[in-house]
Amino acid sequence: MTRGTLIYIGQRVLLIVVTLLVVSFGVFAAVHSLPGNAFISEHLHGAALASVLHQYGLDQPIPIQYWNFLKGAIHGDLGNSFVIQGEAITPLVLRELSVSMELGGAALIITVGLGMLFGVIAAMRQNTWVDYLLTTIAVIGYSVPSFVLATLGILLFALALPDWTFSLFGTAIGYPLRWQGTYGDIVQLSLPAIALGFYTSGQVTRITRAAMLDVVQQDYIRTARAKGLKSRVVTIRHALRNAMVPVTSILGPLVVSIIAGSVIIENIFGIPGLGKEFVRSITSHDYNVTVGVFTIYTLLIGVANLGVDLLYTVIDPRIRY
Amino acid sequence: MATTITAPPTTVTEYAGGTLAREQVSLWRDGWRRLRRNKLALAAVVYLGLLVVVAVIAFFWTPYKPNAIGTCDTYAVPSGAHPFGCDELGRDSLSRLMVGTQVSLAEGVGTAIIVLVVGVTVGLIAGYFRGTVDAVISLIINIFYGIPALLVALVLVVVLGQGLLNIMIAISATIWMDMARLVRGQTLSLREREFIEAARASGAKSGKILFGHIFPNAMGPIIVQATFVIPIAILTGAFLSFLGLGVPPPQADWGGMASEGVAAIRYVTHIVTFPSIALSVTLLAFNFFGDGLRDAFDPRQKR
Amino acid sequence: MLEVKHLSTSFFTDDGEVKAVRDVTFDLFPGETLGIVGESGCGKSVTAMSVLGLVQRPGKIVGGQILFKDRDLTKLNSEELRQIRGRDIAMIFQDPLSSLNPVLRVGFQIDEAMFAHDKIAKEDVPERGVNLLKQVRVPDAQRRVKDYPHQFSGGMRQRAMIAMGLSNRPELLIADEPTTALDVTVQAQILELLRDLNQEMGTSIILITHNLGVVAGLCKRVVVMYAGEIVEEGPVEQIFESPQHPYTWSLLRSLPRVDEKRHERLKSIEGLPPDLIAPPPGCKFNPRCPFRIEKCFSEDPPLEMVGTAQQAKCWVTMKRAYAEMNAATITDTRPGAASGVRPPAELLQVVADLRTLEEPEVLETLAENPQLLEQMVSEEPAALEQLVADHPAVAEKLVTEETAAAVDGAAEDEKSE
Ligand SMILES: Nc1ncnc2c1ncn2[C@@H]1O[C@H](COP(=O)(O)OP(=O)(O)O)[C@@H](O)[C@H]1O
Ligand code: SF4
Ligand SMILES: [Mg+2]
Repeated sequence: MTRGTLIYIGQRVLLIVVTLLVVSFGVFAAVHSLPGNAFISEHLHGAALASVLHQYGLDQPIPIQYWNFLKGAIHGDLGNSFVIQGEAITPLVLRELSVSMELGGAALIITVGLGMLFGVIAAMRQNTWVDYLLTTIAVIGYSVPSFVLATLGILLFALALPDWTFSLFGTAIGYPLRWQGTYGDIVQLSLPAIALGFYTSGQVTRITRAAMLDVVQQDYIRTARAKGLKSRVVTIRHALRNAMVPVTSILGPLVVSIIAGSVIIENIFGIPGLGKEFVRSITSHDYNVTVGVFTIYTLLIGVANLGVDLLYTVIDPRIRY
Repeated sequence: MATTITAPPTTVTEYAGGTLAREQVSLWRDGWRRLRRNKLALAAVVYLGLLVVVAVIAFFWTPYKPNAIGTCDTYAVPSGAHPFGCDELGRDSLSRLMVGTQVSLAEGVGTAIIVLVVGVTVGLIAGYFRGTVDAVISLIINIFYGIPALLVALVLVVVLGQGLLNIMIAISATIWMDMARLVRGQTLSLREREFIEAARASGAKSGKILFGHIFPNAMGPIIVQATFVIPIAILTGAFLSFLGLGVPPPQADWGGMASEGVAAIRYVTHIVTFPSIALSVTLLAFNFFGDGLRDAFDPRQKR
Repeated sequence: MLEVKHLSTSFFTDDGEVKAVRDVTFDLFPGETLGIVGESGCGKSVTAMSVLGLVQRPGKIVGGQILFKDRDLTKLNSEELRQIRGRDIAMIFQDPLSSLNPVLRVGFQIDEAMFAHDKIAKEDVPERGVNLLKQVRVPDAQRRVKDYPHQFSGGMRQRAMIAMGLSNRPELLIADEPTTALDVTVQAQILELLRDLNQEMGTSIILITHNLGVVAGLCKRVVVMYAGEIVEEGPVEQIFESPQHPYTWSLLRSLPRVDEKRHERLKSIEGLPPDLIAPPPGCKFNPRCPFRIEKCFSEDPPLEMVGTAQQAKCWVTMKRAYAEMNAATITDTRPGAASGVRPPAELLQVVADLRTLEEPEVLETLAENPQLLEQMVSEEPAALEQLVADHPAVAEKLVTEETAAAVDGAAEDEKSE
């Protein structure tokens, strides 16, 4: 690794830190300034409420509260949940993160795999019905909301596999809508992951197709053909390798998209991941959890972006920071 | 009958000059022609036109009052009186769907307008003044790219409250960056061109140069980009509603209806079906239209 | 060894059929070096790509034969062609940077060419790769094979390309503008390298260039192309000494010469090559030719013998031009300058241009230039008829315009009475 690369990584890490600070403070200040809190529902009044607030440090000014949060966060302690009383947030969030990563990772593989495959085929068959079909599927991909796809999937499963029925509904339509245990098995994972990955795969298809069409015009593709390489080799080794550069550039936004989608998907399928936790926390005023999840996701995106930048240098040897 | 020629003969050079002068105009005209030839985009425009008509009609007339409870039985299946059936509270789905059109279109177009205003202003400023201003704006843009979009929107809706305008602001906060970056890039390249130099040399104010000269010249890509904001905004709005943080009840909207439909999926499927179809087709139409616009006006993307 | 007979290759674009190569015939003997010259856009590369079957959609070989060792390459299927490419016939290209894959190591790209065919034993490949680089004089070859193309200089990249081209010991090497992107000293080195290869290994070479000077240094025979056609062909010395086609003559004039003062400005040929969709009728060089005669505008000259082993495609030829038009003393090289012949009507060109446009544009142009239509009616009814055949809507306009003009004319007449 060159000096330049190290400097670059340093800058990126700095950006991640700045982003984390700005974002966590923003979210912290925003949610803590909201009227109402998690304890209202418990009918606490007067001294009892004051003592609970004091216990959580909620009676202090927001900057002080944030400072305390920050001190904890640096040591990996994101505080305690208001609602699930006494529950430490860090282990909770990490466990849920691992579930979300399993789902999101599967979705990312589907997205990139399917998207690139479709993109390459569409480009190779440019302006044929195959191309039109695949590009139309791509547009449908990023037009149909993931919850629609998920619902459709559930219904189809129920039609195709009426016997495969055990579900929270206890009725005849039966995709197992509740995640069994903490992690899902492949079968359980498949439908949510497809519903989640299909949306972004459309974008990958479109970028891959455009990149391939651009690359196959390049002189080095002509050279590769003039050498007498098999067309499969030309396509994969010479064209696709180069087409992966622009595809890599959307991996960062892709991760953001998948996180957004996972919030929906986890809620539909009852998957105990970060996205579900986030919605629960924000609707039940469990703001320490809200801030914690937000921070974790921001960190995740930062790391993913850094990873993508380093991936660039692997895919394209010309890129050096 | 051959007429006598009185006009001076046309020479090749004159002819060529005419072609050159027409080139600028024909760029736009070619674009429109390509767009008109794109059947899919055309169909999308027709559909979207109909959608606007439905939205307008829904202001004055719906088969039933959209929020009236008990117009028929809970989960009544589609029938002559209620073509799209009824929901859990016995509200007429068709009426609610019609009113939901207003919400989706408002979210889409409203957000696009906010994104346009914010993104164009920020992008113009960053690109034109460069230096520290640009560095700060670019940092802000990068920070926004580094945070989970939908979660930001969710927090903002909770903080600002579940009003339509607040929702649009919340969605805008997650997608303004692409527009700002696009305009910044366009501005950076345009500000070096002669006609901008000339305007500056003649003492025009920065504001005048930015909005009078640079903005109009960057119009094409900006419009295309704004078109793509609409479906993303509608989708995000539907996500918010689906999670219970969209427009407040009892206001009907597609995302919320779909959410109710999913909840009812073990009893009936029609409740989730119609809003899902409406959303999907509408988003599809906006995307086809946007693709059509881009293919027509961005020659690099020409198939 | 290679016989190209009546080769025609076209690109079928939205604007029409671009006839990039028309009826090109030439041959090449084992060990021979042939130059193909012409301005850029005249079809040299497309000719070469046709030989290797590398022309891609929307391009297509529309006629002719390419006989290589008694096999017609135009009849082979894609797998048979693939086996010939790089193995029997290799090709190297103009821009060595864009012609090498940026994400693969140079050594790998050379080895890959050998692995694609079984001419070189697999186990010998890596070593041969290094040796080839040494042979084309890349310093420190052992280490350089692991570099990426962007780490090579321009000249070294072209050497690497040549090494790649030679890796399977091909019988024919087609070099398409191998020196154009390089600076002068490197150019000379690359040419020397090609010459050595030809002499030592007996590889036949087709050298494509727009620079006649480059041909002089390497080739025995030269083919001159213009607008997709061969306009002159013959031994290099003969062509240099007495070019017979005005185009070749002009090309030679534009060469900087040793006996001329250094800083004398390079003379370039006036005008541009014709539109290959709708080239001018008659000789395609007629819009730019100083020696053109009337016949040149209506009839296309055949490629004919003009000396021992020399052919030219011209009604006039320089022999006559020297004798009758004082070409020796010509200073003005503008079209028609020597012969004083003007084209029959520039209107024809306008009509040809119009025919390439879309109908609404045609109508608009006609509306903008009202006299154009009148002029066509009176001067070029045949061309107008063609235009109407392409764009029937013009006919309607014709009727109204004509009648309107007639009415106008009548009114004028009345007034003047
Ligand atoms: N892919 C293509 N599509 C359309 N026309 C092409 C294409 N490639 C080449 N041509 C046409 O073929 C003509 C000859 O090109 P080329 O053989 O590359 O010229 P050169 O003599 O400079 O090598 C060009 O004038 C161009 O108009
Ligand atoms: S003299 Fe006539 S035939 Fe010969 S090159 Fe000129 S125009 Fe063509
Ligand atoms: Mg060429």
